[in-house]
Amino acid sequence: MTTVLVFTLILLVGAYAAGLLGSLTGLGGGVVVIPLLTLCFGVDFHYAVGAALVASIATSSGSGSAYVKEGITNIRLGMFLEIATTIGAVAGAMVAVYLNNNMIAVIYGLVLILTGVMQFVKKQDHIGERGSEMARRLRLYGSWPQKDGTWQSYELRNVAGGFGIMGIAGMLSGILGIGSGVLKVIAMDNMMKVPFKVSTTTSNFMMGVTACASAVVYIQRGNITPGIACPVMIGVLLGALTGARLLKRLDVRVLRRVFAVAVLAVAANMIYMGVTGKF
Amino acid sequence: MKTDLQQLIGNTLRWGVTIACLIAAIGGALYLWRHGAEPMPDYTHFAYNDPTCHPAEYTTLEGIWQGVLSGTARSWIQLGVIALILTPIMRVVLSLVGFLHEHDRLYATLTAIVLAVIISNSWNIE
Repeated sequence: MTTVLVFTLILLVGAYAAGLLGSLTGLGGGVVVIPLLTLCFGVDFHYAVGAALVASIATSSGSGSAYVKEGITNIRLGMFLEIATTIGAVAGAMVAVYLNNNMIAVIYGLVLILTGVMQFVKKQDHIGERGSEMARRLRLYGSWPQKDGTWQSYELRNVAGGFGIMGIAGMLSGILGIGSGVLKVIAMDNMMKVPFKVSTTTSNFMMGVTACASAVVYIQRGNITPGIACPVMIGVLLGALTGARLLKRLDVRVLRRVFAVAVLAVAANMIYMGVTGKF
Repeated sequence: MKTDLQQLIGNTLRWGVTIACLIAAIGGALYLWRHGAEPMPDYTHFAYNDPTCHPAEYTTLEGIWQGVLSGTARSWIQLGVIALILTPIMRVVLSLVGFLHEHDRLYATLTAIVLAVIISNSWNIE
């Protein structure tokens, strides 16, 4: 029989690993927290989603404090796209009530597959890209500091397309509690042509704000339960801080590949169990 | 955006997560002290219409506050979660201040919309 103490300690260690991996791979803490709770402890998805939401906010704020100083985050771009993600998150939180464990498992599995596959796609800096008129009018162009101290300016395009994908990303955040980092990267990197460094930090900024849009509703519904939230919050935060420090010294390319394969395996498991009604 | 405001945002995030973690850690220590030896609660089933799944001590602001005053461990943890949620919201508020300061009407409006969506969704659903 597992006591509260044992459960809390295991979860604390697991959450630390989730925060560490999430920050090294740029996927956020929520992605690892959900399978840890549901597959290892048999926790109901509705509690796991609440825990993922807490993990997402902790990762975003924890690593965000380092990014703002360097001036890489495009706050205008983030704020503009936040309109789509927060409205999406509100809609997602409404839809979530009608979903049972198996349906949530399948949706989560599909997002994981996309996440795993996108890890193998090369990210680009998009230097010299011609921007669109709409992006210029919204003053979404920006610049980011280089290693030699100069600033590299960039332009971007396809504002409407990116905005639409962000709406879907927000909705998935509202349903699953995760940051939906993969959709944010697809919207910013692949569609809007935002440089990789800028899209990573801006996506991190957005993740916390989006999660807040549905977090209070999840507290009121009882999805965020203190016995799980406490170790998850502290563990993920400490893990993310360690990760941010290691990231400066480590070459994480191999780790990202290994992690992507693991993510695909978990995704297949989730979808199989969801489709056969095992949850 | 001005550097001093960026500095302020960075500090807000750092302090926000630190305070949130400290409050949750106090609650967590109390929780383990009192309930650590008990078998773990049943987290395998959740139902929206089951009142045992959402006791007031951690689902309503009033219940959490009363629990904090009377030293309920779970309420302390939940107060930490609320502090964590407030951190990114503070960041949006500070950005709004920044845009207003720069007389950037378009982005002040967009930021206000984001804030309105978050607040309207957080205000009493029941």
